[in-house]
Amino acid sequence: MSKKILVVDDDQDVRSFVVTVLEENQYIPLVAQDGVEGLEMIEKHKPDLVILDVLMPRGSGIRLYRKLKTDEELKKIPVIMFTGIALKSFLKSQKALDEFQGGEVPKPDVYLEKPIEPEDLVAAIKKKLG
Amino acid sequence: MLANKILIVDDEDIIVRLLSMSLRSDGYETVTANCGEQGLAVFKAEAPDIVVTDIKMPGMDGLELLKKIKDIDPEKEVIIVTGHGDIDSTITALQFGASDFINKPVRDEALAIALERAKAKIAIREKLKEYTENLEFKIAEATDEIRRKSNFQRLLIRSSNDAIVAFDHDWKVVVFNPGAANMFGEAVKDVRNKMSIDELYTPKIAKIFKNQAKEGKQQNTFPWRENIINTKDGRQIPVRYTSNVLHEKGEFVGTVNFFQDLTEIKRLEKELVQSERLAAVGQTVSGLAHYVKNILIGLKGGSYVVDVGIAKNDTEKFKAGWKTIKRNIKRVGDLTQDLLTYSKQREPEFESCSPNDIVNEVIELITDMARSNGVFVSKEFDTGIGEVMADPQTIHRSLLNLVNNAIDACIEDEDTSKKHEVKIRTYVDNNNYFGLEVKDNGCGMDEDIQKQLFNPMFSSKGGKGTGLGLLVTGKLIEEHKGVIETETSPGNGSTFTIKLPYEKVNTVDKN
Repeated sequence: MSKKILVVDDDQDVRSFVVTVLEENQYIPLVAQDGVEGLEMIEKHKPDLVILDVLMPRGSGIRLYRKLKTDEELKKIPVIMFTGIALKSFLKSQKALDEFQGGEVPKPDVYLEKPIEPEDLVAAIKKKLG
Repeated sequence: MLANKILIVDDEDIIVRLLSMSLRSDGYETVTANCGEQGLAVFKAEAPDIVVTDIKMPGMDGLELLKKIKDIDPEKEVIIVTGHGDIDSTITALQFGASDFINKPVRDEALAIALERAKAKIAIREKLKEYTENLEFKIAEATDEIRRKSNFQRLLIRSSNDAIVAFDHDWKVVVFNPGAANMFGEAVKDVRNKMSIDELYTPKIAKIFKNQAKEGKQQNTFPWRENIINTKDGRQIPVRYTSNVLHEKGEFVGTVNFFQDLTEIKRLEKELVQSERLAAVGQTVSGLAHYVKNILIGLKGGSYVVDVGIAKNDTEKFKAGWKTIKRNIKRVGDLTQDLLTYSKQREPEFESCSPNDIVNEVIELITDMARSNGVFVSKEFDTGIGEVMADPQTIHRSLLNLVNNAIDACIEDEDTSKKHEVKIRTYVDNNNYFGLEVKDNGCGMDEDIQKQLFNPMFSSKGGKGTGLGLLVTGKLIEEHKGVIETETSPGNGSTFTIKLPYEKVNTVDKN
């Protein structure tokens, strides 16, 4: 059975690209254009994997990532960070939030920086989903 | 000088000798003559200081001698010796300029007194002469000094780089230095003592100086002001100027104006602004790199989608990918234009245009995008604006920027329960300016964002903004002599208003 993958990105161009890559590789794409909509989709459709942008209006990827990693049920869903922001900046903001909110959030399993070749994205997905 | 030599003239030899003896014993030097003719000869030869002469003599009498002596030297003291009762000739002698008279027989005391008086007169005259000579010398000295000073001042005025122009009380040019000739492009000889203030200056500038003179002493000088002057050969020179109203004993006697050429300073100022702007573009580069990377991501993604569409003969895919590519090409175009606009000095190109029409064009451009993001765009026009003199490009680009920002502010808003709306309003204020108001009910801005609004490299839109939009808008509006006003409330939305000078174009009456 085909796996469901949710793409959360506010950039229409990125969504269209990732959706095409997923379709080409026999995954079922789901889309959300911001953090708030992303969480709704996750709770509703329980995707097998989430591809998450960092900088978005209304509930950034940073916040959604923390939400996913601190929720008992949702923390099992693998997350691929897919963003234009350097990993260093992302970790820095997570660390700041760790100190601010207490607790520690694990580093993302896969962190991909845009732009990316379709085959690299597919390789990362396959590695996660087996 | 001591008056010491006395000529004694009398036809009676004994009297001559007696007087001579008496005077010598008093310390005088004497010369003598026995008739008028001889007296005159001795007078010419010996140049005595005082003459004592009998009035009645055969041949040339005393009166005649007196006249001759006075002809030669009107200042000589002549004492007349008269017989008793000879009042008439005494009076005549005094009229002819005799300084004194004594009666015969001559008494020593009377003579001594007359001589003393004559000597005093001579002394006074000497003193007076000395004073007069002194005065003449002093006047000559002062005149020299004045000439020197005036030459110095003339040189000073002539060699000044500043333009110095002075007018007399009839507003005729009396001083026009080479600096002024340079600045106004007029030859000194064509202006000085020929032109009036109205011929030299534009009516506007002439009026400033005339008003200043009218206001009297309260306005003797005014602080430096700036203006543009038009030269005869059609140049426009930015100047700094001041003016003094000249009064003499409370009367208005003229005005002197000083002008400094600011061309070089203005050029340097412009260069400074330009280099600051280029530096700002430099600072923006890291932000820009991010933005350009996003465009690249879009282009790569789009071409992948197009490839898939071609391979599978899937028209929908092909169209979607192509749309992505086109959108990103447009982003490159917009970015390039923003960068060029911001880094280059540009003069607005004024032409007759209708602000309301331009607003309609902008709305047409963004309506689809707004609708797909759930934002409703509305308009409210003041039809009284009509046609104005303005740069339509400035209005179009500024407005497009503001409307795009307003839509973004709605998209960014976390409150999804709102019915998001962008309202564009046009209006005219009191015929001074017209306003273009863009009001949204989006996320609004906190104080931090407000402070940085017009800063280069600042963007509140993450990687999706270049940080150039408001910068470019601000510059365009400034070049158009307008202003942008901002009002915002976090969570409730923002209002941006562009105000531009209102210059209505009169529609031609065809009747």
